[in-house]
Amino acid sequence: MTDNKVLITGLGAISAAGANLTGTLDSFRNGKRNAGRVSLFDTSLEYPVFEAGEIPEKFYLEGQRTISLALCAVDEALKSAQLVIDSTLRGDDLSKFRVGVCMGTTVASQLNDMEFYKSYRNSGAAPMEPADRYLKGNLAEFISRRINASGPSLTIVNACSSGTDAIGVALSWLNNGLCDIAVAGGADELNRIPLCGFGSLGIVSRDLCAPFDRDRKGLNLGEGAGVLILETKSSAQKRGKASDLYLLGYGSSSDAYHLTSPHPEGVGLVASINKALKEAGIKPEDVIFVNAHGTATIENDKVEGKVLANIFGPALKMLSTKGFTGHTLGAAGGLEAVFTAAALKEEWIPASIGFSNKDDAIPVMPVMEVTKINGRFALSTSLAFGGNNAALLLGRL
Amino acid sequence: MNILGIGIIFAGGIGIDSFENALKRGWQSPSEAGAPHLKDKKLPAFTVNLETLADRSLLKKTRRSDKFSKMAVLAASDALQNSRIENINKKNIGVILATAFGAHVTTFDFLDSILDYGEAAVSPTIFSNSVHNAAASYITSALDIHGPALTVTNFYFCFQYALQLAQAWLNEGRHDYVLVGAAEQYGDVMRYVYDQKLAPSHDGKIRPFNFKPACQVPGEGAVFFLMSRENSGNVYCRVGDIRFSNDTGYGLPVDLNIIDTDGMLADESAYRDSVSPDIPTAAYSPLFGSMMIGSAFNCAAGALMLKNQACYANPVQDNPHGINILNAAQHSNIELIRCVRYNCHREKAVFHLKKTGPKPLHY
Repeated sequence: MTDNKVLITGLGAISAAGANLTGTLDSFRNGKRNAGRVSLFDTSLEYPVFEAGEIPEKFYLEGQRTISLALCAVDEALKSAQLVIDSTLRGDDLSKFRVGVCMGTTVASQLNDMEFYKSYRNSGAAPMEPADRYLKGNLAEFISRRINASGPSLTIVNACSSGTDAIGVALSWLNNGLCDIAVAGGADELNRIPLCGFGSLGIVSRDLCAPFDRDRKGLNLGEGAGVLILETKSSAQKRGKASDLYLLGYGSSSDAYHLTSPHPEGVGLVASINKALKEAGIKPEDVIFVNAHGTATIENDKVEGKVLANIFGPALKMLSTKGFTGHTLGAAGGLEAVFTAAALKEEWIPASIGFSNKDDAIPVMPVMEVTKINGRFALSTSLAFGGNNAALLLGRL
Repeated sequence: MNILGIGIIFAGGIGIDSFENALKRGWQSPSEAGAPHLKDKKLPAFTVNLETLADRSLLKKTRRSDKFSKMAVLAASDALQNSRIENINKKNIGVILATAFGAHVTTFDFLDSILDYGEAAVSPTIFSNSVHNAAASYITSALDIHGPALTVTNFYFCFQYALQLAQAWLNEGRHDYVLVGAAEQYGDVMRYVYDQKLAPSHDGKIRPFNFKPACQVPGEGAVFFLMSRENSGNVYCRVGDIRFSNDTGYGLPVDLNIIDTDGMLADESAYRDSVSPDIPTAAYSPLFGSMMIGSAFNCAAGALMLKNQACYANPVQDNPHGINILNAAQHSNIELIRCVRYNCHREKAVFHLKKTGPKPLHY
């Protein structure tokens, strides 16, 4: 195993499952699913969605919900890392450290304000406020400025693996000495554009999603943000911060197959998992559970389930948390890495909510109840639109 | 890390030879483009001719893709070919695509689809192509690359951060090669935004040394570099440490400054801090247009100059501040080039291009 381990010293999460990590774990323990009709914007589409609820006033930004969600998670993560005590993330709390910010998103990367575009289309002119918000709203840049971070700042726009890849990029920064601390994860708001887009692809369910279930009908969209504070051992030691959670490996590989479908044999996912295991220096049998991508689409779950069974065996403890959060797109990898780290710490994983019937085409079955775990290593996977796959290997040592 | 191959597509054509010809030839008048906000007028724009993108066997695999993706795929493919490395292990190539605005033209097409047909009847193909990472995905499938494919954004320094990540991946041994590049597309709506916020040039000339304002002429295109720690293939030069803000290594004795002035900042006077009376300065944006990823094109120009040991004259030489600029092409010994970019907060990103020597240099 590598000696240059990177610590996880802080966690933050917001989604429909909870406004913070404590609330989220309560929902997980109680099997609570906070889904409903879209309330954030007018739409004729009647898909159930997982909205994160009201944003606290100190982080609310008009027309920038993705950033607002991200700030909530960043604040919680920085506090749990004891990097800030009580602030609104304004000021120079982090100026004395070399902090990088790497965040994944999808929605915040596009100027897709419907009213702005409608006005331009109709009259050849449009109010500039939405454009200004967009130009000031690059997710990582915005967070960097808000927390006065002096290290690298990069937004990863890799669709559904954005958050996982952002954490992997931050790991590379830390390994290369480009920063000592990294704020890494993902954020995305529920937005009309992906709701219409995923609907057009025929992969959104009109029922609550049922990851890996025989009768699954597709995904539900959600929103949220999940953030890890990653830190070199020497940085944590220097400021007296202890942690037994580690980010040990990252793998990312392309299917090179199709824009919207995973490779039938999951070649990219297999390669990603193997890379993450290799970097961590551990064997598949050392992994005690996998927090799967598990979107509840027919193809994703079939391919992912087969790959996980082949690598880890059919007795693997595995789950999808998307039954609690919906598919939060660019936030998913960040949220699921937070959940994986929290599960290692808490020594239990939640039921893979929504699952009830085994699919014979999937040789591994998700856990159906809150399950005790006892071991040191866990994996979180992401499969993205476009055929990019990513895996993170986390440990408690 | 070394640049082993360059692929490029811009208003002047496709391929590094076309770009070299443009550098030698100097400024050429761009085409003109109309837009709803311009009414009956047209304004200059450095757009890529659709014929440049047509009839390529490679594009059979990307026939449903949009212009943004096609430009990226062609540039990435050209970079691989230009490296002249045979039997490259494509499982060990990482792809990093930097873009400020992504496939915004297709995003607006998708909004058209919602407005015209309703939320339940939109086009899945348009949606698929509007996703930021579609271009990187097409690169992997068209070129059968199985490494990671990342698309990254940062409005001002996305190319510099992509370079830095490529270097980090190579240092860690994650990959033997990284295809790192940048792409941007011209479109009416973003032009409208530019024209509201920045001074447009009416004669098609970006004047990089005017500084306030330089006047923008929007451009589009894609550039890719095949990077490796190896000094093999069609090696151009070595890329040095990429630094940001105050830590920019100005002590190094460079032979040439390349600055990214292109009118994409309302006030580019910060660049005056980065020029020296003793070191000639060049800016090649008048050849390819104003783009947030213009640094990638200037990087290609610098790499060519180090490989060819020749300097190319500034394409537009208006020089009201008396800067020491390269005003004529010349053969010369060039060892080190500094490439500088500023953002709207007067923060800078700097990287150095170094002539590849027989011994490994610690850049």
